[in-house]
Amino acid sequence: MKVDHQLDVTGMACPMPIVKTKKTMNTLEVGATLEVVSTDAGSKADLPAWADSTGHQYIGLVEEDGKLIHYLRKCDPSKVEQVHFEKTFNVENLDSISSDSLVLDVREEVEYAFGHVKGSISIPFGQLFDNLSQLNKDKTIYVICRSGQRSDLACQMLQKNGFDEVFNVEQGMNGYKGLIEKTI
Amino acid sequence: MSNKVAIIASNGGLFDAYKVFNIATAAAATEKEVTIFFTFEGLNFIHKQGINHLSVPAGSEQVAAGFENANIPSIPELLEMAQDLGVKFIACQMTMDVMGIKAEDLVDGIEVGGAVTFLEFAKDAAPSLSF
Repeated sequence: MKVDHQLDVTGMACPMPIVKTKKTMNTLEVGATLEVVSTDAGSKADLPAWADSTGHQYIGLVEEDGKLIHYLRKCDPSKVEQVHFEKTFNVENLDSISSDSLVLDVREEVEYAFGHVKGSISIPFGQLFDNLSQLNKDKTIYVICRSGQRSDLACQMLQKNGFDEVFNVEQGMNGYKGLIEKTI
Repeated sequence: MSNKVAIIASNGGLFDAYKVFNIATAAAATEKEVTIFFTFEGLNFIHKQGINHLSVPAGSEQVAAGFENANIPSIPELLEMAQDLGVKFIACQMTMDVMGIKAEDLVDGIEVGGAVTFLEFAKDAAPSLSF
């Protein structure tokens, strides 16, 4: 899966996977994704707890050939999340949108893989500008991310580029209770 | 929620050292402010010679061998890592006097202080741990 950085801590025991993850996370930009490959069974519980405690996002875990592959995303816990885009959409109504509209997921590829709204399409925010031609300007677009912050920025960008029927899904995937589809 | 973890290291064996340094480095890597107060046998862990001769309880030699097999970092490595992560070390002045240990016998980057120095840090720490 496409990630910004990879960290190999195979063979290392507690507390090394945590210490190495912390050190690597310090070098990353906010929003970057990190893959941590571990063989320490303790990391299964430790890395989600570490992310929870430090304010970073724990995206998910894949177990493969005795290896534990963790996916994380760097967050800035000090940053207050502000939403600016005026047209918003209640996440609870997402399952009853018309067939003439679409749900655009602007989270990173790896976040999308671990769970997204069924039928939504994935274009990470960082790649959106280069992929505007993939979107139909006549359709209503409901933009979703994890919390409503990246999707807010995406809505602003879409509007500037001639998309009129664009709505920011409030609370994002954090608030979505409907059917989740996985590609992993 | 407190962002401080206060640890007292008062026993000086190899297993005690792992308990102290594993918790300390894990806490520091989780953005906690960590201070360890080394007192009585716990001073072994920051003693330039003592750190390389930590004892193992009789009959547990096999467990000690397990540390190497499981690729666990050595205590000197964990100590360096803890300092690198910003863990603060306080050596107990009173015990140093009793045991005839001088500041230059201890590894670098250590503060020497009394019980109050530690208590001042620990007053709003959660958890406070003693090993």
